[in-house]
Amino acid sequence: MRYRSSMASLALALCITTASANAFDESKYPDWTGQWRLGPPAKWDPTKPPGRGQQAPLTAEYHAIFEANLADQAAGGQGTDPTYTCIPDGMPRAMNVVFPMEIVILPKTTYIMIEYLSMLRRIYTDGRDWPKGQEPSFMGYSIGNWIDEGGTGQYNLLEVETRNMKGPRAFDPSGIPLHSDNQTIVKERIYLDKANSDILHDEITTIDNALTRPWTVTKNYRRDRNPIWIESICTEANPHIRLGKENYMLSADGYLMPAKKNQQPPDLRYFSQSQK
Amino acid sequence: MGWKLSALWTSGMLLSTSIAAMAHHSFAMFDQENPIELTGTVQEFKYTSPHSYILLAVMGQDGTTVIWNLEGQAPSLLARDGWTSQTLKPGDEIIITIHPLQSGAPGGAWNVIRAKFKDGRPIGGNR
Repeated sequence: MRYRSSMASLALALCITTASANAFDESKYPDWTGQWRLGPPAKWDPTKPPGRGQQAPLTAEYHAIFEANLADQAAGGQGTDPTYTCIPDGMPRAMNVVFPMEIVILPKTTYIMIEYLSMLRRIYTDGRDWPKGQEPSFMGYSIGNWIDEGGTGQYNLLEVETRNMKGPRAFDPSGIPLHSDNQTIVKERIYLDKANSDILHDEITTIDNALTRPWTVTKNYRRDRNPIWIESICTEANPHIRLGKENYMLSADGYLMPAKKNQQPPDLRYFSQSQK
Repeated sequence: MGWKLSALWTSGMLLSTSIAAMAHHSFAMFDQENPIELTGTVQEFKYTSPHSYILLAVMGQDGTTVIWNLEGQAPSLLARDGWTSQTLKPGDEIIITIHPLQSGAPGGAWNVIRAKFKDGRPIGGNR
């Protein structure tokens, strides 16, 4: 009897799911299926050289932090780029899409799944307001709006705002920093190229207290309709580690190697000195 | 340490571009100005994330063998260059140009463009 009841519940659930699925009018939404690639080199503004060449509009305080980061990187360190330990990019850096992304559009949520570090964005398009008491996350909390620009009868533009990120985060591997207060707001306009539907544009504006003004860049992703998807689990084989304030690399046999010239070994204060 | 290495100054700029292209993290720990060529025997090929690794046994001029830990592109990029987890096997003899660790320790970064079997055959689908 209990079994029959369970089956009935399942059948009812399926009916409801099917009804919901039928309510989703796919023709109202753009075709963003397939694999979207930007690929390396990962620099924030694709139109400018990396590092100082990005001309990031940093405040004096954060410009000094960026310069100190560059000096550390020149010596073999990682500066203010935190991702070498497998910390996710977070927003907005995730949209560098070092490895490809897939976009899944559902009526209430659009999902952006980025192969690199298995990063997932949920963009809520159900008209909700910003939640209260939400814990911050690297990818932040995203609310989107579908827009039919030009009255075509079909949505062709997704506007997204993302808030409530946590850090540490940087714009790209050169270590261009975001403010440690994590008050970043990211605004995006995502749409297909009018002349080539295999190009997807993302105009990204970052508002952050490390910047003197909003910083807008445009990413242009290329569609691959026959994609190869590869699992990307960063902790699988990452030999780069941080001990104290220093980064080291593991050797082939699993021992610490210095990453910098003349780098001192880590502090072993909690090990018995007689231990060899 | 006396490794039998040849510095490839002329190709430095090309390789710098290739290494920077990997971009999971800053590659400043690797000497991008002074690439070196290693000839050795593959001990293990790790087709892993966030990077692939070749553990390469290289004999120095003094006759000692050291295993180098060589960081390459992630499978996500290697696959698109025609590489699989079976592309390199233990015992394969290869010649590979790398950017060594600035510290001088036996580690470095490599790119498919500058890797070939010792007999000159290309590896994977590389050029």
